[in-house]
Order: sequence, then C-alpha cells, then structure tokens
Amino acid sequence: MSSNTPPNQTLANPQAPRWWLWLVDRVAAIPAHAWAVMLVLLVMPLVADDFFLFQIFGWTFILGIVALSLMFLAGYGGMVSLIQMSVAGLAGYMVALFGDSGTTISLGLPWWFVVPLAMVIATLFGSLVGLLAVRTEGIYTIMITLAMASAFYYFTRQNYTIFNGYTGFNLVLPPDLFGVNWREPVPFYYLTLVAAGLCFLLVTYVSRAPFGLALQGVRDNPRRMAALGFNVTAHRVAAYAFASALASVGGILLVWQNAQIAPGTAGIHATFDILIIAVIGGLSRPSGPFLGAFLFVLLSTFAPDVLRAIGASGERYKMLIGGIFLFVVFVSPDGLLGLWERWKAHLTRDDMARGKGETRP
Amino acid sequence: MTTETIKSPAAATSSAGHALELRGVSKLFGALAALSDIDLAIRPGERRAVLGSNGAGKTTLFNCITGDFLPSTGGIRLFGEDVTRFPAQERIRRGLRRTYQISLLFNGLTVRDNVYLACRGVSRGRFSFLRSRADDSLMQAAEDLVAAVHLSDLIDTPVSVLAYGQQRQLEIALALAGAPRLILFDEPAAGLSPTERKDLVEILTGLPAHIGYVIIEHDMDVALRVAERVTMMHNGRIFKEGLPEEIENDPEVQALYLGDGHE
Amino acid sequence: MREFARQHPVWSGIAIVVALFVIWAIFAPWPEGFEAIFGRKRVFLNAVFSGITLGALYFLVASGFTLIFGLMHNVNLAHGSLYLLGGYLGYEFAEWTGYWLLSFVLVFIVVGCVGMAMQVLVFRRLEGQELRQTLVTIGISVVAADLMLWAWGGSSYQVMSPDWLRGPMELPLIAGYGRDGELVYLRYPKVRIAILFAAIVIGIGIWMALNRTRIGMIIRAGVDDRDILGAMGIPISRVFLGVFAFGAGLAGIAGVVGGTFQSIAPGEDTRFLMASLVVVIVGGMGSLQGAAIGAVLIGLAEQLGSVYMPTYAVVLTFLIMAAVLAFRPQGLMGRRG
Repeated sequence: MSSNTPPNQTLANPQAPRWWLWLVDRVAAIPAHAWAVMLVLLVMPLVADDFFLFQIFGWTFILGIVALSLMFLAGYGGMVSLIQMSVAGLAGYMVALFGDSGTTISLGLPWWFVVPLAMVIATLFGSLVGLLAVRTEGIYTIMITLAMASAFYYFTRQNYTIFNGYTGFNLVLPPDLFGVNWREPVPFYYLTLVAAGLCFLLVTYVSRAPFGLALQGVRDNPRRMAALGFNVTAHRVAAYAFASALASVGGILLVWQNAQIAPGTAGIHATFDILIIAVIGGLSRPSGPFLGAFLFVLLSTFAPDVLRAIGASGERYKMLIGGIFLFVVFVSPDGLLGLWERWKAHLTRDDMARGKGETRP
Repeated sequence: MTTETIKSPAAATSSAGHALELRGVSKLFGALAALSDIDLAIRPGERRAVLGSNGAGKTTLFNCITGDFLPSTGGIRLFGEDVTRFPAQERIRRGLRRTYQISLLFNGLTVRDNVYLACRGVSRGRFSFLRSRADDSLMQAAEDLVAAVHLSDLIDTPVSVLAYGQQRQLEIALALAGAPRLILFDEPAAGLSPTERKDLVEILTGLPAHIGYVIIEHDMDVALRVAERVTMMHNGRIFKEGLPEEIENDPEVQALYLGDGHE
Repeated sequence: MREFARQHPVWSGIAIVVALFVIWAIFAPWPEGFEAIFGRKRVFLNAVFSGITLGALYFLVASGFTLIFGLMHNVNLAHGSLYLLGGYLGYEFAEWTGYWLLSFVLVFIVVGCVGMAMQVLVFRRLEGQELRQTLVTIGISVVAADLMLWAWGGSSYQVMSPDWLRGPMELPLIAGYGRDGELVYLRYPKVRIAILFAAIVIGIGIWMALNRTRIGMIIRAGVDDRDILGAMGIPISRVFLGVFAFGAGLAGIAGVVGGTFQSIAPGEDTRFLMASLVVVIVGGMGSLQGAAIGAVLIGLAEQLGSVYMPTYAVVLTFLIMAAVLAFRPQGLMGRRG
C-alpha cells in the first residue's frame, strides 16, 4: 500500500497548504480496488442483515484489529508476539473493572475516563512484556510471549479481586453516547468499521514514518542498524507499545460486543486464534489480518453447519481451521495474500513484481 | 588507555592533523596475534589501499578502527581525538563509516529507504511516528546519495531483487550517508564483473575531495587506481608502505603477494 | 560452585543462610510464634512436598522439550499435546492390560513413534525454517486437541495406581505436636513419593546418558554447536530423529504420571505446555540441569503460592520468569549470551 510519490507530482493547486497537498497526494495514491472495498463496506448495512453486521463483520473487525497488532510486530518488527490477545483481554477487563458491569467489584467510573485508562494500562502491560521479550531474539520471542500469555490466562482464572475468576464480568455495555445504543447492529457495525479503518490507516502510515522504516531496518538487520547509530532495543520496545495500544482498542470493542469477559476471552486458544488469523491472512501487510479474520469468522460461524450438512460432526470445525492453517503455513509463508500475489505474478510474469507489490509507478 | 611506548618513526613525527592514526595496535585472539604493532596514519582526504593475502589481518584492522573489537594494546586517534575506548556509535558520530564484505542491507526495504535509514541513523528524530517526508531534507540527501552511486533508476526497488553488484553499490551509498570524513571499504570489488568494477572505480574516484578512505582490495588494478598510497600487510604486520607504483614494482611484494596470485 | 563462592561472597553467604533456614523449617518442629505467622507446619510441609513432586512432573515434561529445543532449535508447541496423548493412552493401556508399569513402556513407544512421525513428516520438510516449524506445531496442537476431544470427550480421566502404591506413608519429618505433646510425623501419598523417585532416577539416567555415552556426547556437542555434527560426519537427521522420539516419549510418560497423581482432561495440554515453556525459560534453553532447577522452582512457587496467596499464585511464577529474563535472559543454566 505504499508508494513514495514525490511531492512535486501532486494533483492539487501548489498554493494550497502543505498538509492539504499531502492529503490529496495520499488520496490520489489509493488504488482502485481499495476504493471499491471502502465503498462496499460503507453501504454494507443496506444489504446485510443484523446477524451479519453484528456477528460476522463486527467480530471480523475486532479480531482483525488484534491480529493487525500482531502483524505490525511480526511483519515490520520481525517479532512474533503471542501476547497481543492478552493485552486486548486486559483492556477489556479494565473497562469492565473501572466502568459498569453486573458485578459488584466494578467501580462504575465514567466511560471517557475508563476507556483511555484501560488503553494505558493495557499498553503498559504490553510494553512490559515487550521489554522482557526483546532481551532475546527470534524463536525465543514466541516462547516467552506464549508463556506470559498463559500466565495471564491462569492469573485471570485464579484471581477474584481484580478479574473475578472463572466468572469474569457480565453486562459490560458501551456508553450511550449521542443517545445511540452502540450495541445495535448498525451502530456497532460502523463503530467497529471506523475503529478498524483508523487502525489500518495508522499502521499503514507509521510503516512509512521514520519509526516504521527504522523498525523494518531492525527486522532485516539489527546489527547494521546498531552500527548506523539506532537503538535497536528501544525501537523494539516502542513497537510493542504501539502494537499494544492497537490491541487494546480491539479488546475494548470485544468486551462491548460480547457484553461480558471471562478468562477464556484471552485464553490460550484465543491467543492461537489471533496468530492463526494473522498467518492465514498474511503477515506482510496490514490488509492481511482483516482478510484472515473474515475467513476465520466465516469458518467458525458456518463450518459447523456445513460439516453437519455433509454428514460430519459439526463440532469438528476447530480441526478444519487448524487444517487450513497448517495448509497455509506449508504452502505459503506469506499467507493468502502471498498466494494471491504469487498467482498475480505468475499471470503477468513480471520479474520485478516478484515478492512485493512495491513497484507501482 | 594503555598506549604502548614503542613508536615507529612514522608515528612519532605525526601529531595532530591526521584523520586516522594508529599507534602500536595489536589484537590477540587467545594466543593468536591477528594484528601486531600496527602503526598507520591517514591524512584527511587521503585515499589509502590496504593489500595483503587472506589472514593478513586487514578486516581485523577495520574492526579495531570501527570499534567492533577493542585492540589488545595500542591507541587509535580519529581526527586528533583518542577514540581507543569509544563505542562504535561514537566513532560514527565523528564521521567514520565502513562497508562490509558481505552485504548487510535491509532486504525488505527499497533502495531509497535503505539510504534514508542510514541518513536517519546519524540525525535526530529516529523515533518519530510522524512522517514529514515531503519536505524532508534527509530524503533529498538520500536521493542524492542514490544518484551518487548510480542507482537512481532503481530507487524504489526492494533491495532483495537487486543484482549483487548493485547491492555493493548501495552498500557504498549507506557508508556515504551523513557527512562522512573517513570511510573504510572492505573489499568493495569482490565478486563484481569487469563493467561493475569500472563503475566502482568511477564512484570511488568521484567522491568529494574532503572524504578520505581506506580500502581493502584484492584486485590490484582497482586498488592501484583508486588509492594514493598503498599499505601492504602480512601476517598481522605492516610490511611495506608507499606509492602505488613503488609497491607494484617492489620485488619483495611481488614475491610475496603478486607471485602467488589473488587469493 | 566454588568459583561462584569466591566471586560473590555476599550472595553465597545469603544463599547458605537461606538454605539453612529452609532445612531448619523442614526438619525442626516449629515454635509457636512461628506457626502464628506462617500457619500450621503440616500445611507448609505439604506445600513443599507437593511443589517438589509437581516439579518432578514438570521436569519429566520439560526435559524432552528442552533437549529438542537445544538440539534442533525447534519450539515444539505441540509438546503439551504429546503429554495429554500420553495420559489418555496410559489410561487405556492400564485399563486394558491391568498393569500400571506396562502402560509406561507402551506409552513411551507409541508417543515416541508419534514424535518420530512429526519429525519426519513436518520438521524435516521445513528444515532450517524455525518460525514455520513452530507455527506448524501450533497447528498440530490445535488439531490434536480437537482429535483427542473427539476420541475421549470432555470428561476427566484418572489412571489408577497399583495397590502397592495406594495410601499414604509416614515420612521421618515432624509435622507438629499432637494433642498429648508427642511428635506427629508427616504422612504423604506413596504414589507421589514414587513419582519423585522416578523423576530423579530418570533425570540421573538422562544425565548419565548425555555425559557418559558416545551418543550423549554427540547430542551435547550438537546443542553447543549444530554445525559441528555435520563437520564430524555424524548423520544429523538420525540424531534428531532419536532425540525427538525420546523427548516425545518422555512427554507421554509424564502424561501417565500426571494422569495418576492428578487427572487427564482437555486443557491439560496447554497447562503443561506453559509449564514446559516457563521451566525452560527459567532454567535455560537446552540445559538439562536448568530444566531440573527450573521445574522444582516453578513447582514450589505454584504450590507455596497457592497456599499462601491463593489468588496471586501465578504472579509468583510470572515474577520468577520476569526476573530471570531481566537479569539472565539465557536462563539460569543457559549458555547462549
């Protein structure tokens, strides 16, 4: 999604303020298929029913945001972190703890205080885990973050004073802002769509900003980056912080969608689900996680029915998802997006377009 | 700092005014002396070639100068300042750059972004989440550097699809980022085709006059064409030093180095 | 050890004092004021013993994990699934044959074969791609969990221990004073003592095998530097296969052990996967002694934690892991800097 359009090629009036030129430039750089996707998503409530809007798309966007935070760390930073779902879960728990819920330990503070607070706490937690995880490299990252994610899960299950143990919190509802019930399908659809869109734009933008470029440099060659005068560790920890902030957005939306949160929300299986989503979609660009999330949601919603229809047991959909994941890992290290790219490259036989689609004129 | 008291005549006469000055530098790996008692002085803007067979200690010498290794004994001065115990980053801030024998590039990024990162590394704002690229002087600097190494046509190409020779050229652009004063080139011509070598010689001789460099090179033709003075190393010691034609015609050098061919 | 004492006299002194205190706390009857603060001694002793026994179980699971990791750089996240499979199979074999000990042998062979199949079908195809190998193991663990749920359902199973291991035995450890002032000794289930001994025997066995046999030397050399094996002309793939089978078999045996003194149910796979991860992170990647130390440490932390701070016990585990990562990222006994 990136092209380094030189500033002098802008379509706009050169007298206009610089930010406007920049914006026009960016908008002009959006490819046609992206406009099409945007348009379809905006008018979706005209055609889709409530179940689709709330359950399929709402959930897709939420899981997509959390998986996007993993994609940011893995794709740009080379750090496959399994803590992202725990960070999201913690943000959801904090909203439930400090805001309103059906449980007596909730503090009932106003939403405009609770939401930022939840994000800050979750981001701090994610950064702390990052700080520990970046002490080692490569394959160790998965081990350490998975161990931390498991510890978080068992802690939420065991602790009653903060996390209310097995039960968790119920009746956690979004605030009635502007007199809208945000859990109604259409408002919730747009709420999650806007959140996902903003997160997507933010990641795309940061990936081209100095920090994002430096992070990619760290991914490709940490030693050289250090030799160039960059602080490799600080960049990695900052990446964890940024990704955790994204994940916390997903976590807050998730607790509002389910209206409840319990240890299983951020359990080991949920942790693996996020990884599966990101890997199936593709870890090399921000659209991958959303694609993966859409597929995952469709599968886990409809696979039981389909399986039953063909005479198999409907409970085996987990196996189906695991099988698809195994297939994708075996055939394409770059997920479905990577497969698609390769197929396109195969069709055009354009040698320069092999690998990444970075060569747009 | 533990400067050795042994001083060769060359080192004794030199005081300030040198871009790089090594005095009695040795590097031991266990019992093995990779470098012993090296004295070397490079004037600002001077172009020096270091020759020697494999294992003569050339790359170890570079690693000591850049701060990747600390020398076992001896002292290193950079632009008059004692940097013997300085970390690598501090030496970079003082205008020292190097290239690597194997390409250490950022394969997932474009040519432009590779050079941009090298420019960023020595500037402020490395953590900026905001992009100010339209009016970014660093981006302009990066583009100029890409042009300087003849890669402008490939500026938006990912590094992973560059040809080997082009990667070597990019490696040079990275070393040129951020006002270098002295660059260490570690075998920049290794593995290049004759045309690419010509290109390389052009790039090196076309560098601004204030930028000095030290180049390790196996290819005598390249080395003698891009260097003003030549230092011969053998078994971790400096063996001969002189003008290119002196070295080329020196019978001892011929016996030792040119005689048994390259490699 | 002596080297350490010479270099860090203060830390060594503190360690000795702590060790003496722990020995005293275990063997001597507690004075009254002491019990007021720390609760009954029997509770403490039980927690310590449960912790050590749990540590023994963790060691059985984690030793295979750490060997596989150290040698092949493969984080086998399906290791917990092998444990769970071992538990279910152990139950089936014990029911079928009626011999508890025989089920160990059968489980070791079957789960070891499963491990071999994984090595041949999966890891060999993705040679050198550590990240993809690890992703594949996650996929396998998801599929395996579902398959086992299919086969054995959601209820929990208990492997019956043989008669000669049923019931408690009295240990020569003072638990406290009885009503008449006489000394009361700690009673502890026999089967747990047996598990503890078995783990120690297996641990020493592996240690001997690694240090005293040729194949052990090869494996240790491979953990230090994989390239060395190729340079020595040793068929690496066969060594990998053997270690993988052995590590998987150990996980399976651990499953039978866990099924005997706890129980086997869906979800235990992730629990023991986490335990292995934490133990290996704390003890040091690829180190057998590290796995032993880490396992006992985590076992004790869990049991003492659940007795003395029931809703924060996991935090203790987390803190141990965080402290190790902060001060010694390669783990207590790890060598990689």
